Amino acid sequence: MLSGVFHGSILFLVSAGLQVVFGVQKIFNLACGSFYALGAYVGVSAVGWYVGAGGPPALFIAPLAVAGLAVGAVGVPVERGLLRFVYDRDETFQLLLTFAIVLMMEDAIRMTWGTSPRSTSGLYLTYGRVGVLGTTVPVYNLIVIGASLAIAVLIGWLLTRTTFGWIIRASADNREMTEALGVDMRRLHTTVFTLGTALGTLGGALVIPATAAMSEMGIELIVEAFAVVVIGGLGSMRGAFVGALVVGVLRSIAISVYPELEMLLIYLIVIAVLVLRPRGLFGGPPA
Amino acid sequence: MLTVDAVDVFIQASHILRSVSLGVGPREVVCLVGRNGAGKTTTLRTIMGYLRPRAGGVEFRGHPIHGRRTHEIARLGVGWAPEDCGIFGDLTVAENIEIATRTRPGGRPATERIELAFRVFPMLRRYAGRKGPELSGGERKMLSIARALALDPELLVLDEPFEGLAPAIIPAVSEGLAAITELGRSILIAESNIHHVPEYTHRLYVIERGAIVFAGAQEDAWRDPGLARIIGSAT
Ligand SMILES: Nc1ncnc2c1ncn2[C@@H]1O[C@H](COP(=O)(O)OP(=O)(O)OP(=O)(O)O)[C@@H](O)[C@H]1O
Ligand SMILES: [Mg+2]
Repeated sequence: MLSGVFHGSILFLVSAGLQVVFGVQKIFNLACGSFYALGAYVGVSAVGWYVGAGGPPALFIAPLAVAGLAVGAVGVPVERGLLRFVYDRDETFQLLLTFAIVLMMEDAIRMTWGTSPRSTSGLYLTYGRVGVLGTTVPVYNLIVIGASLAIAVLIGWLLTRTTFGWIIRASADNREMTEALGVDMRRLHTTVFTLGTALGTLGGALVIPATAAMSEMGIELIVEAFAVVVIGGLGSMRGAFVGALVVGVLRSIAISVYPELEMLLIYLIVIAVLVLRPRGLFGGPPA
Repeated sequence: MLTVDAVDVFIQASHILRSVSLGVGPREVVCLVGRNGAGKTTTLRTIMGYLRPRAGGVEFRGHPIHGRRTHEIARLGVGWAPEDCGIFGDLTVAENIEIATRTRPGGRPATERIELAFRVFPMLRRYAGRKGPELSGGERKMLSIARALALDPELLVLDEPFEGLAPAIIPAVSEGLAAITELGRSILIAESNIHHVPEYTHRLYVIERGAIVFAGAQEDAWRDPGLARIIGSAT
């Protein structure tokens, strides 16, 4: 159950990035999975370097998070160099482009880090375990759950209280009108895409003490993130939050009860949502 | 203030505007009248920088603005209220107005600008906490103009501000616009219904099939029988 919440927290970070990019750019960014994978590999390397340099193990989470966030900067060249050319093209084309990015990044990761899984040896339990609700969980999981909650609150605050957040919500609704209020859309697109990317890479970095970084992890996560946005509703932050929790918890229940059914259960729910409530739990009214 | 000089505009392969020229002076209210599909929206969208003229130019306060991007034109002091109002449905009425003070800071203080927008359209005050989808057509029109005003512009460009309004609301909007000009702003209005052209309009342009066919005073337009046929039937 709590491992489901842990997985849900990671999933939330990546899905939140997916949602904010979809909201403003109207592009369903499959590459969010690759950014997640990239964050994981960079996280492994950063922690490896940190431990090698003699940093105290108890603080390994700091270089991990910093590296995860920093590598989000790769969003800038991806948006400026690729995505901006397809904003006026149709959705199929945009989707194909983001899929091309997935394939390119997968190759780039293989070339840089090789094909065998990479992990941070033994740091997962640095903080020990505690008993919660009758089970024991690694303290690291609780830290990540807490960080993810804090980020959720921060995003909520950003969207409702800051000018930047208002501009994001306004441009998600009406891009042309937002420009007519003096907002430089090109800059906004780069900023938002980089923010979305950084959420994905951070998610990837935070997951790797618990699991090894593997080149297929990106694709797997895209499938789950897709389930999250279908369940929560495309473009909705609250949807990402609830959807990620639902998918994370269901996945862990399925794994403990009947592992073969892991993804099947999630697909069944996705299909049920698509049939009964096509816009998801928090999706907007029909456009 | 604003000069549109012989612009030719194409949308894909179709030649939509043919050598359109018009001008708006300081504190003037100018109306661009034409039937459906005559090219009013295209003219205004060219001024706003959404469309680029293939020939001719647009000047605002001495700066050439054709070729500038929309957000730059807005920052120079042009407020825009599109035909579909462009209300941000996820923001409340009050936030729709306030956002304009945040995206173009500087000049008059935000509180003053917001207060002014509400003073011009007092009806909006009652709905301050509502969101876009809960508003009627007239309220949306007013909000869209109020937001343009909160940008603190020198010129307001309004696409069919009276379209689809209940007859009872038209005077409220019209009075609001009159109040705006008294504040020293200029207004350019596109209108398809000649009966909506406010009596305080300084100059009228009539556009037909992408070309200006009349420029002058409202009364003179009616005296021209050919023109009266065009604008008289423009409902
Ligand atoms: N995206 C487009 N592609 C092709 N033609 C267009 C496009 N937009 C407008 N037009 C054509 O340009 C002409 C002028 O349109 P415009 O919207 O400027 O008219 P309008 O005077 O604003 O009309 P209305 O009163 O209906 O708002 C019309 O004939 C229209 O068919
Ligand atoms: Mg029009």
